Amino acid sequence: MSTSYVGIDVPDPALQKATRLGMVVDQDRCIGCWSCAVACKEQQDVGIGLYWLRVLTVGGDAMDVPAGTFPALTMSYQSTNCFHCDNPPCVKACPTQATYKMPNGIVNVNYDRCIGCRYCMVACPYDNRVFNWRAPVQEPPASVTVVGETPARPKGVVEKCTFCVQRTSDGLLPRCVVACPTGARVFGDLDDPNSKVSILLRDRPSYVVFPERGTKPSLHYLIRQGPNTVGGAL
Amino acid sequence: MTDEVDVTNVAGRGEDAPGGRRFNRRKFLIGSVATAGAAAALGGAADDLFLGGLQRADAAAPTVPEQLIRTGHSNNCDGACGHLVHVADGKVKLVEGAPYDKTTIDGRSIPQSYPPRICLRGVAQLENLYSAERIKYPYKRVGERGSGQWQRISWDEASTMIADNLKKVQTKYGKDSVWIAPYTGSLSVLEGVVGVGFRFASAIGAVAGDFEGDNEGDSSTPAGWNYVLVDPANPSNGGGFFDGHESTDFLSSKVIVLWANNVAETSIPDWRVIKDAQAQGATVVSIDPRYTATSAGSDAWLPIRPGTDAALADAVINYIIQQRLYDTTYLQQYTVAPYLVNPKTKKWLRTKDVGLGGNDYVVATAGGKLAAAKGARRPQLLGTFAAGGLKAPTAFQVLADAVAKYTPEYTASLTDIAATDIVALAKLWGTTHPVGIRAGFALSHWYHGDLTMQAMLTLQALTGNIGEHGGGVTTFAGGLTTLAFDLPGWWAPAGTTMFTVMQPMQACEAMLTNKPHPLRAAWFMVDNYAQQMSDRNTVIKALKSLDFLVVSDYVMSATADLADVVLPACTYMEKTDLLSSNSFYLQYMPTVVKPLWESKSDLDGVSMVAQKMGVGQYFNKTPDEYLKEMLHIGDPAHADATVAGLKWGQLVSGAPHLNMPTVPYVPFFNKEFPTKSGKIEFYVEMLVPYGQEVCDYKEPIEASPNNVLAGKYPLTFLSTHTKFRTHSQYCDLPWLNEVTANGQGFLEINPSDAQARGVAEGQVVRVFNDRGEMKVHAKLTEAIKPGVVNCYQGGWDSNAVKQYVEGHPNNLTHQLANPAQSVIPNFPSNAAYYDCLVQVEGA
Repeated sequence: MSTSYVGIDVPDPALQKATRLGMVVDQDRCIGCWSCAVACKEQQDVGIGLYWLRVLTVGGDAMDVPAGTFPALTMSYQSTNCFHCDNPPCVKACPTQATYKMPNGIVNVNYDRCIGCRYCMVACPYDNRVFNWRAPVQEPPASVTVVGETPARPKGVVEKCTFCVQRTSDGLLPRCVVACPTGARVFGDLDDPNSKVSILLRDRPSYVVFPERGTKPSLHYLIRQGPNTVGGAL
Repeated sequence: MTDEVDVTNVAGRGEDAPGGRRFNRRKFLIGSVATAGAAAALGGAADDLFLGGLQRADAAAPTVPEQLIRTGHSNNCDGACGHLVHVADGKVKLVEGAPYDKTTIDGRSIPQSYPPRICLRGVAQLENLYSAERIKYPYKRVGERGSGQWQRISWDEASTMIADNLKKVQTKYGKDSVWIAPYTGSLSVLEGVVGVGFRFASAIGAVAGDFEGDNEGDSSTPAGWNYVLVDPANPSNGGGFFDGHESTDFLSSKVIVLWANNVAETSIPDWRVIKDAQAQGATVVSIDPRYTATSAGSDAWLPIRPGTDAALADAVINYIIQQRLYDTTYLQQYTVAPYLVNPKTKKWLRTKDVGLGGNDYVVATAGGKLAAAKGARRPQLLGTFAAGGLKAPTAFQVLADAVAKYTPEYTASLTDIAATDIVALAKLWGTTHPVGIRAGFALSHWYHGDLTMQAMLTLQALTGNIGEHGGGVTTFAGGLTTLAFDLPGWWAPAGTTMFTVMQPMQACEAMLTNKPHPLRAAWFMVDNYAQQMSDRNTVIKALKSLDFLVVSDYVMSATADLADVVLPACTYMEKTDLLSSNSFYLQYMPTVVKPLWESKSDLDGVSMVAQKMGVGQYFNKTPDEYLKEMLHIGDPAHADATVAGLKWGQLVSGAPHLNMPTVPYVPFFNKEFPTKSGKIEFYVEMLVPYGQEVCDYKEPIEASPNNVLAGKYPLTFLSTHTKFRTHSQYCDLPWLNEVTANGQGFLEINPSDAQARGVAEGQVVRVFNDRGEMKVHAKLTEAIKPGVVNCYQGGWDSNAVKQYVEGHPNNLTHQLANPAQSVIPNFPSNAAYYDCLVQVEGA
């Protein structure tokens, strides 16, 4: 055996003091590789067929298919996970307070209180919650690997992205942010004007999904920059 | 935790038969968490309460101490990423990117380093280790070859069978009738592409697949690289090598040309370097017949007709010559541009030929006088000069004449790129410095891929971009790192004779025709030859003709299906090894977890067989001992300069960077070129017999509208790489397959081509030519150029797993080898996968 490493995680106390944790996803850097989605499954033991985080192609009507007619094409990617809205409709819809908002802005789920009514899924305009219609199938099975520290979800409960609450509570970045190979995902306190997320939102054009719904998402997208057409900038 | 967690019996998963499907998935645990949650609900404010519940759930789980182990991911990826593996209770829990050392072995700091990052394939290695498709035990065939009928045997029985059969074949047909094929499925040192198979071949006198000339398609551009930059006859060049800029060097580029290089899909962790360069103002150009995530993220996309890349390079060269945008000083100092060529023989004119005495090259001085190249100041670059009764042009003049026809308009007709875009690219190239090319191996999957590389290097020589930070032509970085190891000593220890090379394409022919000698037995190690080699129907026929076939692999591949004996190999996490390829870091690979089931490393498997063949004395050391020997640790007199001063402790406790002369590494940084002339030889004398002394474009051998076959088979058939696997590895990983409809293959076809054939989205189509056919679902997408179709290669077509409706892309490809490549011993032949025509119809 070689030396045991201390790891690449360095706790950031600012995350523990945050009052509104949020994420910025740079669509200029995102390449739709799904590394975030796979890392999310690894971290959170998400069952096969379920996603807390998935990657949509902005373009044609299938994965990796652009819009337009050859060769005048455009394509980008929009990864999507729970937006941890400041005004979360799911929390209002939940009859059992299973879905609740934490003081740091994370919208979390207590699976023990969830009765599987799925009102939250109806209330969420973003389709970012998934329901365990069956007992989740985990790969690799926990019989051959070691289960992570995420609470298990039985059949009949709704689950979704928690901004890796078990990591962010310790001041660590969510797994998808650590895992993004292109640096497209940035995480921090939206209430802190000096956080990386706040600076990016000041410096670059961005948007949130369905602003007219008044949900005030904590996940913002930085708009793709520059031309990407035939000949382009030549 | 619950009683559902079986901590002891990892082997109790899936059926015993190799390739058997998994059964009886475990039920999920709920008990402890529910209890903790209920307890938490008893008091406190709601927010704290729920978080408290979470923490209690954690506390309820047994605290298994977690160890983080650094290793290198050796499974044939460009990135050769470091992996930090979280291990608890002897099991792997999580895989993430590992840090690299911030200094070279000799203590110099590395200016550019990025935080560790890996892609989805790396993250999913957890599933690769525990895959239900793993081969768990040794097996022998009991039915017809390929029937999938197996009997589990012991390692003792398996190794005896292998030893007996190899001896029998060698006695009957000669020692060289056994072919050992350790391949690129692993890029580590002790096994795979430079691994123990070669040592075994030397010990028993067998032939073996060559390590550099991986001619399953990655040989033609390396051959072209050697034409221009290396003298293959010089023993110190080892028969040819292939080298590139360190990936972070592209931060210095002002223009990055991603030439047939889909970085955002195939070298994902390098994409941030490209984007950072772009953010600093570099222009990123993607040249690709497909609109990919790479094209979408570039500043410009040039959708080229596949296989015409050299024509585009020639057009840029022509423009740069016409507009006099070339780098005169660079051409005079570092290239053969001013050297005169004998117009009759097309060989170099020598000083003795023109009455100057000696055997130097001849140049023309500013005044038009002939002079020896050595010491000549400011020789003329262009022109034709009277020399000994001949009118001798300079090499540059020969080039200029050859490319003169590649006007923007003519080149547009060849490449389907608009003339205005060709001019814009040429202008950018000629007026911006440095320009770096990342050339994908896609360019190598062509019969004339060598010529394409020759053209790109010629262009880079003209513009002074070779041996410069931010310039060059890079396919993969780290070719030179093999120099760090004493490979001759590893492959042929004292008492043995170095194995003879048998390339994959030659091997196929030898199996079928007994030429140049019979080849009657083979041992494949991490090599899926029966699926990944071109012209697969011929390959399978050849393999079925063998007297004896052994396959060691960690999954039941299409090749293993055909074996007589199957050996369960370890994954990169279950053995001790060292990763050095494709980066400039040495990455020690400790055994992260004990080998699962009865799997063994190839080192151990080969050793068992070697004992029984009477050559066990060459295989009696531990992995660490071999590594120390190969690196000459503690023996500085023999250590290569790139690893001078390396201490064992330094190796196993981190990932030190090699002592390269410049960091980031740039080949030929000192402008010393290992060619005959010591200059960049864009005029290639040794290619005169092939009419290829300069890079005058040639039409693809098959995929050309000029080919009569194009009437019958009008579509160019590409079989590119996907981000969801690496060649034929990871086809069985649930996290990757659930994104991709269980890894089901599809044929990308432009809607206009589909409509012309009455093909609808999702319909099963038959793709065919004279060599074979496959059936696959159609995916209509504007991302692919009309006239071109693409089916991702590497999906499984094994007995157990079929990821195409029927067949595999390599049922359609061919084994036509370009004879010009034979001038480079290490890269003599190449599988031109993409130089392939097909027709598509509804099935």
